[in-house]
Amino acid sequence: MNARLLERFRHGDRLALARLLTLVAREEDLGNIADQISNSKNCRVVAFTGSGGVGKSSLIGKLIETIRGQNLKVAVLACDPQSPLSGGALLGDRFRMPQRPQDDGVFIRSLAAESGQGAIAGNLGLMVRLCAGFGFDVVLIETVGAGQGESAVRDVADVVVLLLQPETGDDLQWEKAGILELADILAVNKADLPGADQVAAQVKTSMELSGHAVPVLEVSAKTGKGLADLWRAIQAIAGKHATAAPASELLRLAQQELKARFHAVLATGDASVQKIIDQFQAGKLSASAASRAVLKQLSERKR
Amino acid sequence: MVINGMTAKSTPLRIVLAKVGLDGHDRGIKVVARALRDAGIHVIYAGLWQTPEAVVRTVADEDADFVGLSLLSGAHKTLVPRVLDLLRAAGLDKVGVLVGGIIPESDIPELLQMGVAKVFGPGTSLEDIVAFLRQRSEAEP
Repeated sequence: MNARLLERFRHGDRLALARLLTLVAREEDLGNIADQISNSKNCRVVAFTGSGGVGKSSLIGKLIETIRGQNLKVAVLACDPQSPLSGGALLGDRFRMPQRPQDDGVFIRSLAAESGQGAIAGNLGLMVRLCAGFGFDVVLIETVGAGQGESAVRDVADVVVLLLQPETGDDLQWEKAGILELADILAVNKADLPGADQVAAQVKTSMELSGHAVPVLEVSAKTGKGLADLWRAIQAIAGKHATAAPASELLRLAQQELKARFHAVLATGDASVQKIIDQFQAGKLSASAASRAVLKQLSERKR
Repeated sequence: MVINGMTAKSTPLRIVLAKVGLDGHDRGIKVVARALRDAGIHVIYAGLWQTPEAVVRTVADEDADFVGLSLLSGAHKTLVPRVLDLLRAAGLDKVGVLVGGIIPESDIPELLQMGVAKVFGPGTSLEDIVAFLRQRSEAEP
């Protein structure tokens, strides 16, 4: 399945990369694609998170120029929310990134993220591996615009940059648990506006108290202030983190396999599973007992 | 049987919406973007001041099924063929090209002959655009 597509991918066909990303987004042929993509050791994966409107897309847009200036090839995977009502999405991140149509060293892909997935698109780990396997030196991930708790991106990125902005929160805000504990770098964006230094100072004090002292930088996507420092800080941390495929990817593949089997059962019908479902719906089997029974049937089932 | 939230992964259509050239009127394209979003389509909004080259690169990287070009500047007879040529050169002939905005009736046959799938002028209902996309994607999977 998809052997020709994978062959084209290996020969550096950009359209094949684009199509493979679509297949992965649709959860088609995941196991095969995962097996066929070699792990690239040299790729740095950097995630940018922070609330909506904090300037993730604009900052990434500016960093693309910085990174290209060092002659590194960069892919961007930009996540935006998908409607829980219609399934539709308006993906508007690339709108704020530079147009470089002649530059093969830049690849930007917009991804729809379903709600409840931790502010990133499903299977993002495999998408990152596709970009790395294609030969990109850097993969930048943009999350949907995480609030405080979304931490799924930690699993797929070597470096997590949390963006903050002036006029947000009092000093208690920085004492809360969540993404602040997981970020490798805190960047106060919009540092051209008043109040950025205050936020930076508050956050710095808070992080030092917690013993999780990470670099706190002031940057401005608008003026370019601090961008070179930010990129240096990212590179310094990326160098320390070894990139191995996270074990969570295994769990995700197993979950998807299970889900696919479950759907196959629902679509084509499977007497033994249907019996369990009927018993559950009739109240004869508890939810936990029924799910264990279904799990057993599904894992023994041939696809 | 359908269990809430557990239906098999759907395969939403992907469309790039862009304004080519120097025309800065983007209200119409934003209204269309919103309608398509609400119809369950994934809209990649490329926005204003796109060159034909940039549009085609976006269509390629986004693996889009369609591209919608909005022109109100009168430059459609220059810019649309340029996009069509570049799409062909990039091996993206299968991507459906839609044109919207202010296009004189008399220019429409020429655009269609060049390879534009459909021209949607002022007064087009949003339902018609959605219906056209669905119909065409079913006809040419």
